[in-house]
Amino acid sequence: MSTGTVVFIILTGAVLAVLLYIVFAYNALVALKNQIKNAWSQIEVQLKRRHDLIPNLVEAAKGYMAHERQTLENVTRARAQASGAKTVPDISRAETALSSALGQFLAVVENYPELKANQNFLALQEELTSTENRIAFSRQAYNDQVLFMNNKVEMFPSNMVAGMFHFRKGQFFELEEQSGRAAPRVSFG
Amino acid sequence: MFWSVIAANRRKTVLLIVLMGLLLVLSGGMIGMAFTDVYHPFAGLIGAALAGAVWIAMLLMSLFASDTILLGLSRAHEVSRETYPQLFNVVEEMVIAGALPAMPRIFVVDDPAPNAFAMGKSPEKSCICVTAGLLAMCTRDELQGVVAHEISHILNQDVLYMTVAATMLGSILLLSDIFTRSFRYTSTVRLASRSRRAGGRAAGPLLIVSLVLAVIGPILARVLYFSLSRKREYLADATSARLTRYPEGLASALQKIGESADTLTTAPSATAPFYIVNPYRQHLGNSAFATHPPLEERIRILRAMSLGAGYLDYHRAYVEVTRRREKLFPASELQDVGRVGIREDGQTSAPVRPARTESARRAGDIIRALNGFAFITCPCGLKIKLPPEYREARFVCPRCRRAHLVNRPDGKAVCSVLSGSAVMSRQASAGRAEPLNRSGRGGRDAPMPQEVCYQPGAWQKITCAGCGHEYEISPRFRARRMVCSGCGATIRLAPVHEPDDRSSGIQT
Repeated sequence: MSTGTVVFIILTGAVLAVLLYIVFAYNALVALKNQIKNAWSQIEVQLKRRHDLIPNLVEAAKGYMAHERQTLENVTRARAQASGAKTVPDISRAETALSSALGQFLAVVENYPELKANQNFLALQEELTSTENRIAFSRQAYNDQVLFMNNKVEMFPSNMVAGMFHFRKGQFFELEEQSGRAAPRVSFG
Repeated sequence: MFWSVIAANRRKTVLLIVLMGLLLVLSGGMIGMAFTDVYHPFAGLIGAALAGAVWIAMLLMSLFASDTILLGLSRAHEVSRETYPQLFNVVEEMVIAGALPAMPRIFVVDDPAPNAFAMGKSPEKSCICVTAGLLAMCTRDELQGVVAHEISHILNQDVLYMTVAATMLGSILLLSDIFTRSFRYTSTVRLASRSRRAGGRAAGPLLIVSLVLAVIGPILARVLYFSLSRKREYLADATSARLTRYPEGLASALQKIGESADTLTTAPSATAPFYIVNPYRQHLGNSAFATHPPLEERIRILRAMSLGAGYLDYHRAYVEVTRRREKLFPASELQDVGRVGIREDGQTSAPVRPARTESARRAGDIIRALNGFAFITCPCGLKIKLPPEYREARFVCPRCRRAHLVNRPDGKAVCSVLSGSAVMSRQASAGRAEPLNRSGRGGRDAPMPQEVCYQPGAWQKITCAGCGHEYEISPRFRARRMVCSGCGATIRLAPVHEPDDRSSGIQT
């Protein structure tokens, strides 16, 4: 073999390797993008679940909490705003507000022993606790995926592939306040 | 990301299983050669093929029938959402957190012993089984920790790997058993005569090698198998903390499980690695033949995760507690410190069912307090109740080996020894240590020097008696005294060693 062929083989090998890398990186990015989409839809499912749950909860509480109209109205209003929100930052803000309204509501519930003893209400409360957890966990899963994606988009060498095919960084789903992050504290005392 | 952790772990597991497979084939080959004509070219191969066939038969059997057989053996019955809504909710939450492709089927065993296990060869088709005892004694957070541990077993495909490894172990044991038995009873003479006929050159050494392999093989295979099992437990604990963002939940669940007196009566021994704690309670400690790491160690690792709930935090806690420097996770996962925060503790802090023992315990404590008992609550969670007859100044916690001072109200056994030589002025906090009694400055309001017993080599909390400031003393802290930054008091640390003062006793 002459040196020419050796150089040719090495060069072709290198070009092939680069091409292969691009294909793999592209596929990995697409898979990640779809995973993020999937994780986001999971969050939406859980938020919807919360929105569906709230009217029931308010309805169950109404009969017992005659003097807490303000609190109940706050929850209902926050829910209406949250279900109307469209963009990621809007949804984040509205859901944070809803979480704090719910937190207040559940704090007030503490003053109504009959309500706390109501089997129906207890079941709803467990559902709400679980839903808050699900929102937290799906948010966590989503943010993990977004972080992974953002690392890929920013880090060398995958950032070149990402730039070539216009992959953009994902947006984290944050709940600003601490009160929104933790599920509302409910204790049966 | 736990995906890469799982992938890395899978590679390691495959390596271990390949090692076990090699052992299996090797012992099969050796046995084949020992039994047939040594110089037959295919003797070893036939033995190895037979060993492989035994393994494959066992594997197929356990893969196709294990779920139903094992669930039946442990008397688990499938439950519906209507009867166990909270359990279903907790499992669903963890399915979301772990992004499991499908919801596992949920089983309950009517057994008062608290335990749980997971089944299923793939994340798509899996089952989670908990005992009624677990449901009765755990809070929601604790249940979540346990379920997350089981979900991690499913995510990591532990059941598949452990089944493969267990059948390999089984066939190695079977082969060596057959070999040693037949060797003992019949074939000594035959083998010897054949080797003589064959020229008596290689058969002797070969026989010894295969004998050694028959003895060593099973032990080696067991060690491999159990180390695999323990690694996977650590990984499942770490993933549980990562999924729930709340290591304390699993820690206190494990503690409750460990403290319970009931043992599971229905657990088939082959399923031991799948349970959250070994249902057989081997008291082997950190032995090479335990399916699970020691419970106290798992709890201490989880409790030592003070900064975050990520893999790095678990790794650090692991190194701190076990002092083993081995890597449980790939390096890529050990970069972001504290990014995975710990969430606040849970929603329902009340137990699912109110514990009747708790109120009985409280009543007993009131009577004890009247009778002059001293109460110490150890940071590890144990409440120590010392009878009035106990006159020692110090008490070592039986669970975590922390030393405590016994502060009797009557002052007969108060351990706060003052020593004049250790009196330091306030300037000591500014770095300029100066004995107080020489200058006399600020002598009146100079804080009292204190002596505190502490035990080197473990984290512990020390409270300054002068201002109430609390300190966490690191296990690596080696100094003999420290200056309280709140009031400037000098705190002498008197190291307390375990009661192995036998040497001094001999001298006196």
